[in-house]
Amino acid sequence: MKQLSGAVHDLASELVSALRGGDHSVAGTTGSLGGDEALTVAAARTLGADVLLPSTLLRRPAPEPDVAVCRAAVHAYPPGPQSSPTVAWSHWAMERALAHVTAVPQHTPSAAGPLGGAATDGPDTPHPAGNGGPDVTALREATWQAFTHQLSVLAALAVPGADSAVAAEAARRPVDVSRGFVRAVRRRDWLQAAGAGRWLAVIDGVPPTLGLDAGLRFVLRMGGADARVALHVHAALLMRADTPYPAAPGRGSGT
Amino acid sequence: MTEPSDIAVMHEVGDRAIAWLHHNQDGFRPRQDDTTSDFEVKDRLKPIGELALIGKVLFREGVAGSRQAALTRQLLDNAWRDLLDGGKLLTWMQEQEPLSPIPFEIYVPFHELGYEEPAFEATLRSVHMLESWSAMETPPVRRLGISAFERRFGLPRSITTERATAATWLGRRPEPWTVEMNVGYAVTHTVFHLTDWGENSGGLPDELAEYLTQWLPAWVDDWLDIGHWDLLGELLVVDACLPTPALDPVAWRAFAEAQLEDGAMPAQRGSLPEGRREDVFDALYHPTLVAAFASVLATSRAMGDLRAPAGSGTA
Repeated sequence: MKQLSGAVHDLASELVSALRGGDHSVAGTTGSLGGDEALTVAAARTLGADVLLPSTLLRRPAPEPDVAVCRAAVHAYPPGPQSSPTVAWSHWAMERALAHVTAVPQHTPSAAGPLGGAATDGPDTPHPAGNGGPDVTALREATWQAFTHQLSVLAALAVPGADSAVAAEAARRPVDVSRGFVRAVRRRDWLQAAGAGRWLAVIDGVPPTLGLDAGLRFVLRMGGADARVALHVHAALLMRADTPYPAAPGRGSGT
Repeated sequence: MTEPSDIAVMHEVGDRAIAWLHHNQDGFRPRQDDTTSDFEVKDRLKPIGELALIGKVLFREGVAGSRQAALTRQLLDNAWRDLLDGGKLLTWMQEQEPLSPIPFEIYVPFHELGYEEPAFEATLRSVHMLESWSAMETPPVRRLGISAFERRFGLPRSITTERATAATWLGRRPEPWTVEMNVGYAVTHTVFHLTDWGENSGGLPDELAEYLTQWLPAWVDDWLDIGHWDLLGELLVVDACLPTPALDPVAWRAFAEAQLEDGAMPAQRGSLPEGRREDVFDALYHPTLVAAFASVLATSRAMGDLRAPAGSGTA
């Protein structure tokens, strides 16, 4: 497990570097560092769709090695019938990201998971909120504390113009996620704070008194030694600097 | 809408806390015996001030029930006649430290309940005219408090509520994720002063009410998790002062479970005071007073919501 966490750290560090201006292949570099392809694939599965985040955020083609490792992770770790909605959603997001960066018109993501319907739309078809993707009932009914925690685990879905049902739930509860951010910072749970902060960067209705920009910088300062924290914060800062994005379903609604 | 069983939990906390305060009221005595120093006497006036401020609210809130109101009235009567020697102890401290706001802060709630000490008031009015009274260096939340007591007593204000509020931490509505314990107490006391200790929730400016409505749940969650019952109790008071209080049943149940068998509320989880009776009292009186305070306000708000007609927007 230690090996995996090290590989995750390495891969996340490469992603941070790429987000900050590097233009190399993330997976290629990591592979050359560790030389263990299986480990790289496992690390890619842990980080999920974020393996392709530089392409998504910087709007540039994904390097083939990154696409390959992402595709390998999707195939190597399919969600099973007992998988949690979180795992199913993470898998769904990877398939979605792959579909977007490869943009092969006839590509169809496979059935996404055990709990929801198949994502049968092509990559260029707009997805109405709630269609396709695993179930969000548990997320919808969660207290603000659990809601933020779950969202934070699924921070890879917080991308510009996110159209998943998870993003729609986040957009419906900006004050709840903001409270969860406060809670995470107070607990010095930097990873959760960074994930929540990343969601707050893509939804409307965040109370200005939260001080999100200062909060993101604070989280980076205090918890940035964890590359996954740095990854979420840099993603959030990039997205904050590059608004407005196409509205996600339900954006701008209140609590 | 708060469930009746949740209201019962809130009410029970206050009922038991007031019983403890009544049973242990001798602990408020400023001069235990001839060995008590003058310094200590003055120091021990603070708990009486808190008893007076909160006791007045407990007494005025009809929801507390006739037994609670009767016990509270006895507490306040004893405090004035016995502990403060009919107000003479306040005059004594005032003569020793004319610029101290402490005797004034204690006097105001008693005065509002009908107790009087003319000599104290005469000295107060002469001291209050001094430039030095307004110029005293105090933390912003304390300055707001003095301003509020001036208003309540009908004295010219040494600073307006708006200016005093703007200088407080809460008045600037800073990043809510920076709230540490000392900030927490500054926030609660800013709300206490602006609302006349819960008697006038309309005194809370709209923008502060909105700010607190947004962030108070996160702070309640935080100090509930830490198990700091003293600050949690004060935050629950603040909640009950909001236009739409959360009256969080999870927080209230945990708060109620923290209360000791005899009705005392420990300041923190896992820290039961031991030793001399006086020391035990000193460790317990404040969180127990706060528990009574939070209970009576929250119960009152919950009952008000029950009574409010459907669609009145107070649910």
